[in-house]
Amino acid sequence: MTELRPHERKTLLILEKLGGKASLSQLTAEAGLPETAIMRAALALQSQKLVEIEERKEKTLILTQEGKTYARKGLPERRLMKALLKLNGEAPLHKAIKEAKLRDNLVSIALGWLRQKGWAKLEKGKLKTLGTPEKEGIDERLLRLLDKNRSAILEKLDPEMRKTAELLKKRKLVEIEEKTVRILKITKEGQNLIKRGIQAMEEVSQLTPELIATGKWRKVKLRKYNIRAPVAKTWPGKKHPYLRFIDEVKSKLVQLGFKEMSGPLVELSFFNFDALFMPQDHPAREIFGIYFVKSPKHGNLSRYRHVMAKVKKTHENGWKTGSRGWRYKYSVREASRLILRGHGTALSIRTLLSKDLEIPGKYFSIARCYRPEVVDKTHLTEFNQVEGIVVDENLTLRDLLGVLEKFAIEIAGADEVKFRPDYFPFTEPSVELSAYKKGYGWIEFGGSGIFRPEVTLPLGIKVPVIAWGLGIDRLFMMRAGIDDIRYVFTQDLDWIRRKGMV
Amino acid sequence: MPTIEIEYQDFVKLLGIKIGKNVEKLNEILAFVKGEVKAFDEKEGILTVEIKDTNRPDLWNVEGLTRALHGFLGLDRGLKNYKIVDDSGVKVHVDKRLWMIRPYIACAVVRNLNLNDTIIRGLMRLQDKLDQTYGRNRRRTSIGLYNFDLLSPPLHYTVTKPTETSFVPLGFEQEMNLKEILEKHPKGVEYGHIVRRFEVYPILLDSKKRVLSFPPIINSNDLGKITPETKNVLVEVTGTTYETVLNTLNIVVFSLIDRGGKTYSTTIKYAYSGKNETVVTPRIEASTILLKVEYVNQILGLKLTAKHIAELLGKARFNVKSRGKNSLLVYIPPYRIDIMHPIDLVEDVAIAYGYNNIQPLWRRLPTTGATNPQTEFYDYAREIMIGLGFQEILTYTLTNKQALFYKMKLKPEKTMEIANPKVLTLTCLRSWLLPSLMEFLSNNQHVEYPQKIFELGTIVIPDREGETKTREEQRLAAVTTHANAGFTEIKSLLDALITSLNLQWQIREAVHPTFIPGRTGKVKIGKTDVGVIGEIHPKVLKAWDLEKPAAAFEVDVSKIYRLTLQDTDK
Repeated sequence: MTELRPHERKTLLILEKLGGKASLSQLTAEAGLPETAIMRAALALQSQKLVEIEERKEKTLILTQEGKTYARKGLPERRLMKALLKLNGEAPLHKAIKEAKLRDNLVSIALGWLRQKGWAKLEKGKLKTLGTPEKEGIDERLLRLLDKNRSAILEKLDPEMRKTAELLKKRKLVEIEEKTVRILKITKEGQNLIKRGIQAMEEVSQLTPELIATGKWRKVKLRKYNIRAPVAKTWPGKKHPYLRFIDEVKSKLVQLGFKEMSGPLVELSFFNFDALFMPQDHPAREIFGIYFVKSPKHGNLSRYRHVMAKVKKTHENGWKTGSRGWRYKYSVREASRLILRGHGTALSIRTLLSKDLEIPGKYFSIARCYRPEVVDKTHLTEFNQVEGIVVDENLTLRDLLGVLEKFAIEIAGADEVKFRPDYFPFTEPSVELSAYKKGYGWIEFGGSGIFRPEVTLPLGIKVPVIAWGLGIDRLFMMRAGIDDIRYVFTQDLDWIRRKGMV
Repeated sequence: MPTIEIEYQDFVKLLGIKIGKNVEKLNEILAFVKGEVKAFDEKEGILTVEIKDTNRPDLWNVEGLTRALHGFLGLDRGLKNYKIVDDSGVKVHVDKRLWMIRPYIACAVVRNLNLNDTIIRGLMRLQDKLDQTYGRNRRRTSIGLYNFDLLSPPLHYTVTKPTETSFVPLGFEQEMNLKEILEKHPKGVEYGHIVRRFEVYPILLDSKKRVLSFPPIINSNDLGKITPETKNVLVEVTGTTYETVLNTLNIVVFSLIDRGGKTYSTTIKYAYSGKNETVVTPRIEASTILLKVEYVNQILGLKLTAKHIAELLGKARFNVKSRGKNSLLVYIPPYRIDIMHPIDLVEDVAIAYGYNNIQPLWRRLPTTGATNPQTEFYDYAREIMIGLGFQEILTYTLTNKQALFYKMKLKPEKTMEIANPKVLTLTCLRSWLLPSLMEFLSNNQHVEYPQKIFELGTIVIPDREGETKTREEQRLAAVTTHANAGFTEIKSLLDALITSLNLQWQIREAVHPTFIPGRTGKVKIGKTDVGVIGEIHPKVLKAWDLEKPAAAFEVDVSKIYRLTLQDTDK
């Protein structure tokens, strides 16, 4: 069954009334609907093959302002001729003009046309008729018609009139506009449908609770939608793309048996440096490597007195670690200097000192860290580090490589791994991990090592500790297809909204 | 990390093998010394190499680099026979007044050198690098090189008043006194702070009272200049740490020996009370470390024999003597200042063995993975916010007082400020979270509304009691902004959040300048204040250049987490 919407039904019925064929403007006038509505209905009817639409270009004649004036007051030559006839067919020009009440600018036009039309001639300042012209010329008739009907279609005029129209156009009394005219014609199918009778069901667009409750929905027609039409954009609530990625890394680390650690953002130099066997005059501690707190300058290390005494000795002479030590005078005051955490390893030290430390134990942290860098495509001044430790008896370099390989495969989805000697003041041996992934190439993915005895022994840890850090930001950039690390903390809501799963 | 420049042609010549110009291939070789090509200017022939190890100043020039690589590449093994040919007869008398200023000096005479511009440029670069890094910008040590043939020993390392002594400093033509040097010479301006606080300054003179140098500032232009014609060189290092001074001298001397020089010792006569002694420098004798085979294998997880370990240590350029079946006596060259513990030798064994030749091992340890219990709680809160249609954002914890207080129409309070900020917009840690969100909205006015954003993040509050003088809270802040945003909407959203956390809450009228009076309140769970809620005051919106109404809340989720624990305790 063919389903028609109300406007379509109305259009079809009116078209039938108009003899099965009508122009769009005729239909519009008859239906009392806006032209756009009729047009939409017509297109729908056409797509159902109930009507045909014929398009035709039409030239429409309309009067110019000047043409309108002449249509009402008469052409200048007619006005002068009338005056001349009143003056018995012969009169000096100025008299005739005065009689005709012609303005100066029209005089030459009137004279020109009098001569051209053969109505009168000017001789030695005297105007003389050459006979009596017909009462209404064809040009005047067209002007009158146009004044009455506002317009005329050029194609519908007889050949003589059409010629005249061209003439009037030259005189700038009419303009010709080109328009597309649509003619609707009922097809055979359309006729058949009308004969069968068109369903007169009420159509609704919104199904309302009332329609459902009253059961009225059975009697109405639910309008078909153009389901392909675009709709307004909806933005979902979702995780930040980077945090979603971090959550994923976190859950993988948990699956691999790692426990999360936590610790403060404002940190004691002791945990950030000293306990990691970084000497107090180490270049990394210089003002450009770390953010120092303005005030108060020092924290309270009294809780860690015993450990610090051992760390102090280790720095100065190696204590009982078997090391030579750094051989300088260690300052307790310097150890209490407050800074913003520079690396996640500070957390590992706190964990190793904790009474809850489990051996064997595996720990990780996703730590916000700070370094006084100028922010650019590859540097952030505030960033996240994914770090951790493995603590157990008999751990070896092979275990360290094993942990790294596992990360590369599980977290980076790497196809191949490569190890290079690396350097950290607190690990020995130290290893850099590179991971290869098809389509991405090699990326440096992490740094790691076994904590030096000078780090572990003062903390009372007598078993090997593997420490690792993952280049998580570079991995995120690779996965997100970005080459600018600033996107991690982007302020661009549009980017966050549009960024799909990473 | 130290970055050094070496001249490629010179490097290839010293190395004695073809290494090509492929950066990846070069990096494979440099991996043995933890080095990486940072830049290769083929036109100028300059290779810029970053050496990761900050504790290996012996690798910071082409001679040292080559010495180490020769071992790993199998071109040479063990420690070369470096020796002091004889006593040069040069004595250096040290004035006791230097004790509090710059007490130590070490010298060596290197003869029979065949220098050229490349070698001299290399020496200057090494001197610079050592002064800056290992010498801590000349505070700890500084190096001077002199044409030995122009000197008249014995030398006197002594002091002088700033205006008492004059000489022509390197690179200048006119004589200047020490005070003028500190004011006018570029090196004086750069390093003057090291000596300026003293009444007298260090000075190195020869027996004719001619100035060799004004340590650690500048050499004499007459005596302290090395040219390709110079055959015999005096190397001198002054500094504040005895050991560092000796180590620095060794690094320079070993490089000159590698270039064919013959080293002669000098005698330093100190006049310090308690340290009234005579020291002969340089001191290039190797120290020893006893390395147990078992220890090496225990660290590396390998089963290497003593012989194999000795071979690998030879590649790392150590001399080794067997001490029974299970121990090795390892001779540590004096320039290997990084060898502090047997563990450092173990790493060299591993590097010589090749990291990629070691089989990785993944052991299943009986550990249970877990996030912090509070992390789980926070993740749940995030989930609810997302379910309520909020976009999660991530912002810096670093901010500034303008954002935290002035733009929020609050009186400034104490925050944790940075002593050395890098930019004016990042000067302190945030003490509340909402300003971060306001800033975010301010940067997104052109983006489609409605905008609903939230963040769960850390804030830091000064706290005298804490060991780090701070207290941290995890806050959750959310803002909704659109043409019809208002209090009712945000209250309904906060209610959805808190009830989803299985808690009941109340709101109590409050005064908070950030919000519209009468449309803001304290958020309370039981008797505990956990946050604020309200419609943002138009003054605040204006301060952030925002034109749409906004309503927000901020709650302390770490406190709420503790409240849920109390609940279950009951």
